Amino acid sequence: MLQEFEFLGVLGAITLTIPVVTLIIAWLLRPKKPNPAKQETYESGIKTIGDTWVQFKAQYYIYAIIFVVFDIEAVFLFPFAVALRQLPLYSLIWAIVFIVLLFDGLLYGWRKGALHWN
Amino acid sequence: MLEQVPVSHYLLLSAILFSIGAGGVLIRRNVIIVLMCIEMMMNAVNLTFITFSRYLDSATGQIFVFMIMAVAAVEVAVGLALLVELNRHKQSVNIDDFNALKG
Amino acid sequence: MNELLLLSPEIVITIVAFAVLTLDIIWKGDQRSAKILPWVAFGGVVVALLATLNVWPASSSEFGIATDSAGLIPIMAVDKMALFFKVMALLTVALVGLSAVEYIEKNSPFRGEFYALTLFAGLSLMFLSSATNLVMIYLSLEFLSITSYILTGYLRRDNRSIEAALKYFLYGALASGVMLYGFSLLYGATGSVDLATIAVNLGSANVFLVVASVTLILAGFGFKIAAVPFHQWSPDAYQGAPTPITAFLSVGSKAAGFAVLIRVLVVALPAYSFNWTVILSMVAILTMTVGNLTALWQKDMKRMLAYSSIAQAGYMLIGLAAFTSQSSDNWSNGVQGVLLFLFAYLFTNLGVFAVVIVLENKLGTTNIADYAGLIRRSPFLSIALVIFFLSLIGIPPTGGFMGKLLVFGAAIDQKLYVLAGIGILNSVISVYYYFGVVRQVFFAQESDETPIQPGFVMNAVITVTMVMTLILALYGQPFIQFATDSADILAATF
Repeated sequence: MLQEFEFLGVLGAITLTIPVVTLIIAWLLRPKKPNPAKQETYESGIKTIGDTWVQFKAQYYIYAIIFVVFDIEAVFLFPFAVALRQLPLYSLIWAIVFIVLLFDGLLYGWRKGALHWN
Repeated sequence: MLEQVPVSHYLLLSAILFSIGAGGVLIRRNVIIVLMCIEMMMNAVNLTFITFSRYLDSATGQIFVFMIMAVAAVEVAVGLALLVELNRHKQSVNIDDFNALKG
Repeated sequence: MNELLLLSPEIVITIVAFAVLTLDIIWKGDQRSAKILPWVAFGGVVVALLATLNVWPASSSEFGIATDSAGLIPIMAVDKMALFFKVMALLTVALVGLSAVEYIEKNSPFRGEFYALTLFAGLSLMFLSSATNLVMIYLSLEFLSITSYILTGYLRRDNRSIEAALKYFLYGALASGVMLYGFSLLYGATGSVDLATIAVNLGSANVFLVVASVTLILAGFGFKIAAVPFHQWSPDAYQGAPTPITAFLSVGSKAAGFAVLIRVLVVALPAYSFNWTVILSMVAILTMTVGNLTALWQKDMKRMLAYSSIAQAGYMLIGLAAFTSQSSDNWSNGVQGVLLFLFAYLFTNLGVFAVVIVLENKLGTTNIADYAGLIRRSPFLSIALVIFFLSLIGIPPTGGFMGKLLVFGAAIDQKLYVLAGIGILNSVISVYYYFGVVRQVFFAQESDETPIQPGFVMNAVITVTMVMTLILALYGQPFIQFATDSADILAATF
């Protein structure tokens, strides 16, 4: 069955070969006269100042967390929504309980000031 | 028409992913990368579950995967919160700098 | 019996936990949170305890959720063993919550959430003791782990607390990943996540997959009970965590680990001809010996108790090893022993930690050296400490002695003489470090002579745990009966 994937291998080989060959040709043809200015990461524009690892505001992190919670909520609600017609009524009640519990979490975050930008 | 990829290939892939993740957790010193490796282990497990679920034709494996996704999200939220807090104290994300507790 | 009624203890705890959380938000964590919420939480636990006892006569039914046309997949069993562990979980939460009141008020600006989180942790223990399905086991284990991480790092201004939480988290996440991989392989090998169905299909399953998955799963459970070689997290987590949480981890987390271990060993994996006894015996020997030998060098009380509780887990594993080698008729003795041991250990260890909490509140330290001359500063605490230590060593008349008697007796019954011998030898070693503390308390010269007076709540906690530790030995018959009834689930499975 591996033969079926031959074309993938051929495609991979071609996509690898072309850039490598061009790089090798460039490497052969180009003059080699390095100097400090050329070695800089940015030849144009301003020099970088300070560490590249800058600190982000921790606030972004809290937003991300709250987003993730409701992102995952969708994973559970989607199958429920698809199967809604075949489910008995009381399953709707449990879905509402589920959402209410999550809403409590949002409420908690809100009262704790997680949604407050300062 | 392509043949189906055999189950064993998926299992091998997930085993490799899991090993890379576990190796990363044990070797890497940067806590953020360790967290990423833990996610990778979880996803390797998810792949195994999906594979078996398809192979055995049972939906339980997929239910399990939903649960793992939810728990992984919660886990990483807690892990990052702890890391942010510790970073405030230590200005570092390197495991070796966290050495206040010793026997 | 109605399914909702069977779950009433869990429902009560959930409602109370959310109520505590909501009240804390409404009051914005002011003085009312510190004064009223602990008692709201305590009331909830008492109601849940009554609900558990109410369910007791009806227990043994299973219930499930509808998944497909094929029928029901059971996710939880409300049997006597589950209820036994639920009682233990509720007692742990009640005692930990009460002994935390003063500590939390002193050390953290966030008072209300602490009780909500402790209740949630107790809830996870209760789910775990009922879980009969890999999905449920995984979810409740993670629920327990995540609440434990948060509680360990609760003192966020204290560098050590956060660091302990992060270390606990990293080890825990790795362990749960490994366990999960084991679950996925077991699911693949047997085609089910239900423990009973797994047991049925195990015979026809791929041997290689089963062995691999069982090894991985045991590693995950070993982490929860802090068995050697998966114990490295526990000294750091125990030392850095807020002391009431250390108490919770050493009792609640361990009991839950044993609950799930017993259930998996009994329900899912007996059909497979696998020599559990050898593996469990080796882990038990390693766990006892490493725990006890390392405890000898500790200068910090919390760290010493961490190693001591590792050693205690080793003794309990002896009981499990005896249970799995079914060479004679009364094989379930091992599990009865473990249950009684856990019950005694609960009161004893929570009692020791209550004393440590009082001393930390008054002295601001957990160094053993600072306990010098305690007998002249607080005779009550000193006597309590000695009784708890006697119980941890296993000297009569204490509950720890009864637990050890049953566990070692079960091992001798199954002709595991070497295992029992090493257990007894280890108990002798442990005398040395426990009495190192006692020597400080009685014979060292104190630098400060002001008497130490525990508050009313702490006095009550210490008195209750001390009385229970003694009653278990002096009037132990009902409790042995309680443990025997709870082990009935095992007889029913065979």
